Amino acid sequence: MRNILAIAGKELRGYFASPIGYVLIGFFALLFGWFFYTLLAFFERQSMQMAGGPGGAMNVNQMLITPLLLNSTVVMLLVFPLITMRTYAEEKRSGTIELLLTAPITDFEIIMGKFLGALALFAGMLSVTLLHMGLLFFYGNPEWKPIATGYLGLLLMGGSFLSLGLFISSLTKNQIVAGMITFSVFLLLWVINWVSSFVSPETQTVINYLSVTEHFDDFSRGIVDTKHIVYYLSFIATGLFLTMKSVDSERWRG
Amino acid sequence: MIEVDHLSKRYGSVTAVDDVSFKVESGQILGFLGPNGAGKTTTMRIITGYMPATGGTARVAGFDIFEQPIEAKRRIGYLPETPPLYPDMTVREYLAFVARIKGVRQHVGDRVAEVMRKTQTADMADRHCGKLSKGYKQRVGLAQALIHNPEVLVLDEPTAGLDPRQIIEFRQIIRELAGSHTIVLSTHILPEVSQTCQRVVIINRGRVVAVDSPENLTRRLKGAATVLVHSDGPADQVEPLLVGVPGVARVGRGEPVATGASFEVETGQGLDLRRELAAAVVQQGFGLLELRPMRMSLEDIFLSVITDETQAVAPAGETADA
Repeated sequence: MRNILAIAGKELRGYFASPIGYVLIGFFALLFGWFFYTLLAFFERQSMQMAGGPGGAMNVNQMLITPLLLNSTVVMLLVFPLITMRTYAEEKRSGTIELLLTAPITDFEIIMGKFLGALALFAGMLSVTLLHMGLLFFYGNPEWKPIATGYLGLLLMGGSFLSLGLFISSLTKNQIVAGMITFSVFLLLWVINWVSSFVSPETQTVINYLSVTEHFDDFSRGIVDTKHIVYYLSFIATGLFLTMKSVDSERWRG
Repeated sequence: MIEVDHLSKRYGSVTAVDDVSFKVESGQILGFLGPNGAGKTTTMRIITGYMPATGGTARVAGFDIFEQPIEAKRRIGYLPETPPLYPDMTVREYLAFVARIKGVRQHVGDRVAEVMRKTQTADMADRHCGKLSKGYKQRVGLAQALIHNPEVLVLDEPTAGLDPRQIIEFRQIIRELAGSHTIVLSTHILPEVSQTCQRVVIINRGRVVAVDSPENLTRRLKGAATVLVHSDGPADQVEPLLVGVPGVARVGRGEPVATGASFEVETGQGLDLRRELAAAVVQQGFGLLELRPMRMSLEDIFLSVITDETQAVAPAGETADA
């Protein structure tokens, strides 16, 4: 555990020793702020119009927070390849992988450390958005439970992407190659359910199950289903396992 | 302290290391000598647990690097050919990180200060690793290898790319570390071996071609000794006289000289023909200006071993595959 934390700490410090961490958090905050502003403006106008009519107040969770969280998953899709592409590729290129692989630590500890470091950076990005949620609580009266499950869903989905990105980064020395492959695979997993209307119902079930976004919908609506948690956790475990195998085979090939 | 036993490493059909065996006693400095691409780095990477061998074993302080990697790695400090530095970290941050992953038990800050003093890097403590000069990078690399006070130090070409003054300083640091650490260092620079090492392993094309002390290697090759003869007589008259001395294997022209001519006379194994050579020259009325045995430098040995593996230096059982 000590070793995992040492690696995670090094990874996290690595993001902030260079501009990477600041740029990622800063521009994530900018985009999230823009989504927040436009959705809020839209929500405000709708509420004004509705206020005159019969229906009563609109639901801020459904109208504002759910689409906001869904929008930020799109940003994750674009940003995560940038986080993970350097994790292994950079160590291999600069030769520091020799330090890690000859230190008295296990491959599992190195991989877990890198994974948790990247996850901590993502948590840092998300923590910026708590400010916007604070504003909603200050001026309005949203339900906190769907927000909490939404964030849990984001973390799980983020973890899945990160573990997959880590694996892809472990396959190459070249950051750009790692980044591009990661982005393409993420996008494929994203849109894989587009075919569901043309295929047989059985295939449709499988494809929907594979889709990363499909599992997130329930979280954003405040539903915590074990099915989805199992999906994300097994996704993460598979990604980390593949990374371990890749690092191990790299050792043999030299 | 280090036992390497019939180690081999194949990449597909390429054999990088072929049946390499040697031992290093505690406190010794072993020089690993060979041309580029001989398999030095591969052997070191196997010993340090960076990659597994395809055959054979390597034990460090009694721990098999493949069976008990964590225990063995705790006892090894490794400086790869390029020092494994993170350019964005300061020297102090970097060493503190390495101390943590290498399981330094004492207070990390104290230990970092200690190795920075030993490697003379304290004045660069707050500089980013990426901004260091080559010499300092190498020293920080050494500090990194020393941080957990390992029994064994493995240094891959530690002086490559340094300027002459830095090389001297770096060798001095290495010599100071000997005794408290067992050191394996690789190089393709020969004087480095005779200056720092007590034992030499010469490796070529993945095979060990000689293991001995630098002095013994020199002595073993002296069997086929060379004597320099400088006479004031004309070259074409003196040469047949030298060739005529029984026991002379070959006579070659030496360096051009102002008066007369000089020759390099190779004699057979274990023969000292200085007396006979002198007599042969003087009896014909020529002056003998200089007569001295030429010691074979490590450089000559290295070249002769590398170019022709059938040489007498090859250990018993070693066959040429040229």
